[in-house]
Formats: sequence, C-alpha cells, structure tokens
Amino acid sequence: MAQKLFHIFRNTPLGRETLLQSIYFCQKMGVLPTVYIPESTKFLMYFENDVVQVDLDPSYLTDPKTAIAHASDLLEAVKIRPEFFTPKNYTASTLPDIPTSFEFMCCPRSISDLSSKIGLGYIGPRVRRIIQSARFPVLITSPVYKPWQSVAVFFGGSTNAVNALRLGIRIANRTGLGLNLYTQVGKQPADAYRRIVRKEDLSVPLNNVLGDWTFFEKGRFEDNLFSVPHDALVVLGAYGHGIIRDIMFGSMMEKIQSTISNNLLIAGPKYTVAG
Amino acid sequence: MLKYPGNWSLFRSDDRLLLIVFAVIVGICSGIAALLLNRGLESMLEWLHHYRIYWWAVFLPGVGAALSSLFLDKIVNEGAGHGVPEVIYAVSRYGGLLRLRSSFSRLISSCLTIGSGGSAGPEAPVVMSGAAIGSNIAQAFSLNDRQRVALVGCGAAGAIAAIFNAPISGMVFAVEVVLGEWSTMNIIPIAIAAVAGTEISRMLKGNQIVFAHRDFNIQFNDILACVGLAIFCAVASILLTRVLRTLHHASTHVSVPVWVRAFMGGSMVGCIGYFLPYVLGEGYHSIRSAIEGGFPAGLLLVTGITLVKIVVTSLTLGWGGSGGIFAPCLVIGAFVGLSFHRLIATIWPSVLWVNEGCFALLGMAGLISGILQAPLTGIFLIIEITGGYEVILPLIVVSAIATTLCHYIEPASFYLKDLVEQGQLLRPGTDARVLTDLSIEELLETDCISVHPDMRLAEFIDIVKASHRNYFPVEDRRNGRFLGMIQLDDIRPYLFDSAMHHAVLTGQLMNTRIKTASLYDDLADVLQKMDDGRFFSMPVVSDGRFQGMISKATLLDRYRKELMVQTGRT
Repeated sequence: MAQKLFHIFRNTPLGRETLLQSIYFCQKMGVLPTVYIPESTKFLMYFENDVVQVDLDPSYLTDPKTAIAHASDLLEAVKIRPEFFTPKNYTASTLPDIPTSFEFMCCPRSISDLSSKIGLGYIGPRVRRIIQSARFPVLITSPVYKPWQSVAVFFGGSTNAVNALRLGIRIANRTGLGLNLYTQVGKQPADAYRRIVRKEDLSVPLNNVLGDWTFFEKGRFEDNLFSVPHDALVVLGAYGHGIIRDIMFGSMMEKIQSTISNNLLIAGPKYTVAG
Repeated sequence: MLKYPGNWSLFRSDDRLLLIVFAVIVGICSGIAALLLNRGLESMLEWLHHYRIYWWAVFLPGVGAALSSLFLDKIVNEGAGHGVPEVIYAVSRYGGLLRLRSSFSRLISSCLTIGSGGSAGPEAPVVMSGAAIGSNIAQAFSLNDRQRVALVGCGAAGAIAAIFNAPISGMVFAVEVVLGEWSTMNIIPIAIAAVAGTEISRMLKGNQIVFAHRDFNIQFNDILACVGLAIFCAVASILLTRVLRTLHHASTHVSVPVWVRAFMGGSMVGCIGYFLPYVLGEGYHSIRSAIEGGFPAGLLLVTGITLVKIVVTSLTLGWGGSGGIFAPCLVIGAFVGLSFHRLIATIWPSVLWVNEGCFALLGMAGLISGILQAPLTGIFLIIEITGGYEVILPLIVVSAIATTLCHYIEPASFYLKDLVEQGQLLRPGTDARVLTDLSIEELLETDCISVHPDMRLAEFIDIVKASHRNYFPVEDRRNGRFLGMIQLDDIRPYLFDSAMHHAVLTGQLMNTRIKTASLYDDLADVLQKMDDGRFFSMPVVSDGRFQGMISKATLLDRYRKELMVQTGRT
C-alpha cells in the first residue's frame, strides 16, 4: 500500500527548508509526499473524536502564483512526481476539510503563529492538538534542512513511549540506519525499562537495530539532551503520562523540542502503529 | 487506574440511560445559551434605542454587522454561515463533530447583528451553540458517533425549546431538520433535552406563551382559503430563498474585506429601516401586533412590508451579517398571512372570514414549513408558541401544501440546498451515505499474485495453478510499476495450446487499456465506472503501483452490513 506524508507548503524560503526536509524523510522512508498549497488561512481536520481547526499565518498564502512551481521544482529535482492535494469538502466556504487518513504529517514547529517564532523552541497550540488527536506520527522539522544519519528514540516506559519505540524500530528497519535509545532514569532502576521492552516483545526487533541505550541517571533531563547527536531523527511519544501529570509537570515532548533542534517524529496518544 | 475520561469503557457502551443523563446536561446548557442570547439582545436593543432618533442611526445595523463579521473572522477565526447548515453538515459527514468555539461564537456575533437592527433571527445561532455544546460533551467523554449525533440533536432541541418555550417543537425540529432520522435512540434523549431546555427557560424567564392571541372561530371556508394561503406562503418561501442566495452571490463580487461588505449590507438595511422600522431586528413585536389585529391597515402596505422584509433579511444574512432565518420566516409568514387575509376580504367582502390574526399565524406555519420543508416543525411550533390548538386543521393544510409546493419547485430546503448541490448531504441509511462510509481501502482484495511481462506462459500457468483468482496484475520487474492485467477468460485459448507455452510472454497477453481506480476515488465514481464498463472487478492503482482488486461482490456484501449498522436493523 502506498504510504503518504501530508505536507502543508509555505511558499517562502523557510517553507522550502521544511519541504526539503519532508522530501528527505519520504525518500528515506519510501513514502510519497502529498503537498497542500493552502487557499485560505484556515482549515479543519476531523479526527475520530476531535475536530481541529488549523489557523495558518498569512505567510502560507505568499505568492500563490509561484507556489505550485516552487514545490514542483523541489520534488522533481529528486524525481518525485508532484502530487498536490485539492480539498473536496468544505465546512464553510473558506474552511476546507483536510483528510486525516495519511500515514505521516509534516508540521513546522508552529503553523498558527508568525514565522518569526519558529525556531525559538515553540510548538504552537494547533500542532499540539494535531499531535494529541492524530492516528499518524507528526514530523516536526528542524528550522533548516538537515539530513539525519541515525534514529534516536526517547523511551520513558509509558504506553506512548512503547509506541514511539515501535515507530523508531520501524524507521530504523526501513532506512537501514542505526537506532540509539535514551532513557532518563526516574524512580525505577534501568532494568525496569528493559523489562518493559521484553514484556512488549520488542527485545528481538530492538536488538537487530540497537546501537546504544543510554541511561541518564544524573543531571537535568534538558542538560542530558546534549548527548543526542545533532543529526539524528528524534522519535518520541507525547502526552503519555496522563493529562494531570502533563499539566502539572510539563510534557517531556515540550522539554525536548524546546531544547534540541533536531527533526522530531512524534507519536501522540492516539497513534496506532502501522506496518 | 483512569487516565482520561475517554478511556472509561462505561461511556463507550450504548447505554441509553447514560445518554438521558447527558441529554439533561446538554438541554440545560442549551437553554442557558438561549437565555444568554435573549438577555443580550434585550440589553442591546434597550441601549441602542436612545440613539435611534439620530440620523446616523441608519448606520447602526452596518456597524453591528461589521463588528459581528470581524469577531467571527478575526477573533474566533470561524467561517461565516447561517449555523444550522454547518450542524447538518457535521452530522452528515463527521458524526456530529463541531468545534468548541461554535458554542459561543455565533451567540456573540448574532447578538451584534440583530441587536444593532439587522434582520435576522437568534434561533439558528442558538441551535449551533447548543449543538456544539452537545458535540463537545460527547467528545470529552469519547462517546461514539451515534451517541454524539444524538447529543448534537439534544443541543438543537434544547435551544429551540428554550427560545420558544416549546418542547415538542424543539424535539421535532431536531429530528426532522437537523438529524433527518427518526429513531428511538435519538428521540428519547432529544425529548429529555427539550424538556430540560424548556424548564430552564421557564425557571429563568417565566412560563410565557410567546405570542398570545384571542380565540379563533374557524369555519370551513377558512380551511378552504388555506389552500390559497399555502400557495402564497410557498411563493414567499421560494422568493426569500432565491433573493437571499442572489444577494449573497452578488456580495461575493464586491472585492472588499468581508467586514466592509457586512457594513455595506447592514447600512442598506439601516437606510430601509429608517423609513420602515417594522423590518428591523428579529421582528417579534411586528408578529405580536399582527396576531392581535393591531397592525396598520392597508393591503398594499403589508404586501410592501413583506417584500421589503425579504430584501432586508437577504441583505443582512447574504452580505455577511450573522444570524438565522427562523425569526424572519415567522415575520414574513405573519405578513403574508395578513396580506392574504386582506386580499380575500377585499375580493369577497360578504364572506365571514376568521380574523386576520389567525391568518398571520397560519402564514407563519406556511413559511416555516415551506422554507425548511419541515411541515411538522411548522405545525407544532405554531401550536406551542400561540397556545392554541383550535387552528390545528388549517395549520395542517397550510403546512402540508406549502411544503409540497416548495419541494416541487426547490427540491432541497433552504438549509440543505448548498449541501445537496455539493453532494454533502448524507442522511443515514441512504445510498450516498453508505458509500461514503465505506472506503476503497477496506474493500481491497490484496491476495492477487503479480506477474512480470517477461514471464513465459508456462511459468504463468504454474502461478495460475497456485492461485484461486482469475485476475493477474502485470508489474514491471525493475520498478514495480503496474503495466496491465491478464484475465484468464481472455487467454483461455492459449492455456490449452502447449505450443504457445514457451513461445508467448505474459507481456504479450496482458490488457494494457484496462480501466483502473485509485485509492482516493469516491466509491460512487468507481461503481459508476464498473457499471459503464460492465466490470465485476477493477484493479486499484495508486502512484503507478498495483494495490489490489475491488469487486462488486465484496462491495455489496460490505454495503449490506453497513446499511444494517446505519439503520439499526438486522
């Protein structure tokens, strides 16, 4: 089955970097990019039990006459036949409905605030909502195009972390790249995390791709992130510890994305592992 | 250990008692929303009343509409619209998913539009608000689609019930107009929500009948005259629908920001209202005087006001103001009733007709039935808001005939017209809905064995022996691209000719001009292709690669199962 990555194209130099990153991801993973050139600054995404309105900033509507040509040039340069998404359904005349049946979606760190905020370690509220509701993993790109040479998975033992680990293993298998695992040790000893992996029957597939499993036993998590290679695709689960803990102590995802500038692939709580 | 309410298995079950509990909550919330808008409108009208004496007051409806448009467009970032069609669309396509912001956005925007003098109704915004409250409560507790749709209906029912102090009308409106489906699963919670909405309204506003009236002594000749009134109502309904759409399309050709457009429309309304104040605002005061027989005399005056009211409503709603069509319909209906009564009284002065207030009531039912194509809503609404059962017979006549005539001229009601034109009205249990709920992906038969064009027939025969299918996709060995299909029926002569086994390649046997479907095609289109080409199955190709086969047999089997699920019948 042809798998697809949904990309919202911003016809600006910054948007070019993001599309290049999406194209790179697609090439590595063997999936096809579907590019949406927005016709208005709003659209709706209807998930199974949530409807998310995405409000783009006006830079997404920059020079619509050249948008298709610009996106096509980037795709054709790597011999990908451009495929553009045209909305069929509209909730209101200026409010197209975007399907949510893609396998991946690419988001810049913010799609609802001014471009100037992007790269300052800020995930917009809409991106958060998409991550919380989506059945697909969300690719949050680095501010500039950056090929990745390995896969880094953050594993904290939650259900979502297990999902992220499955996703990481899948990516490592698809791309042939090595996978490194990172765990900030909490109250449990390191062995407890290994037991979770065994319990989930992931030992064998993990060992096939695993390079190092680093346990951060000391120091602040944010400081320990320096150990993560700058050119790794970081895979992590989001909002996996329960809504109260996420609100009280802050989500691990928020800490990671505001500290490192790697490409992130985030599996939200609704993500179901695909083949 | 519970992490999210959405994980509670209790809420995922089809528990009717639970749905009733939620219905009470949704009904109360909808009732409160209706009262908030009602109070907001009263305050605004009272506040602006002192300024209406000044010349610049003609711009007040324009300013209100512009502020309303700016609020919707810039602050809550919500596309403009009447409200009810959006609710029906959400029910039709997405199991009633509505945004949380819709629970308050239309209340504020319509308060600005109507309170400043725009000709629109508060009902549709409150319906949208109630429906959004129901939808979001369902989302918070991870209820399934059918339960969510029922709660959306509860919100709509509670809203209408609270506005008009009319529980049956709320219930009937929700089922007949919003859901389009009469089922026990929906009706019970919707009835409870309507009761809750009504009770909240009675507790906070008092148990008042919206339009009190004197007794009517209806004779047989009045019932006969209702046939003529129904024709008048149908004409007015069609006229309102078409003028509103025409003015809306005209407004889209004015290349100014939407709020400027709303200001222009509102200011035109203000200018007209300066000379004819009857046409401003929601217009309930005009209805009261029409029913009580206190409306200024003159057939031409009332007919003129009717036509002007149609124009100002179209200018308000078509040019970017926010509000609903319900109240203007009631006002226009009352004026149509008055006009008709005065006309027949002029033509047949010797006949003893019932008073004109009765015809105003009947006109209201005729307009509601005609424009919404919902006769029961029209009948029950008028009975409840006037507290008079004695008009039931002429009400039925007017509503039934007006609905039929309107349906004959405009097959879709005002709320559904755009949805029908875009192919987005998918009522449960209909062919379009069933086909929409099935996807090509879930019908795909992927157990086909692919072959390559450079295979000799002998190799191919070995593959045929191992397969139970008649179709074999041919793929390029290098890049996996789909090249064509081999169907056993087409090559049967070669199979039994051993001389051919090592002489013929599969590439020579394949059909390269075969019609294909894509994963992203609509199922209805795929079926059409199959019917046109008389195929029983078709290859599905996406991005140049074979994905599987889709067959009519599998499709019909899944269709039947889906139909059973949607109609609740086995």
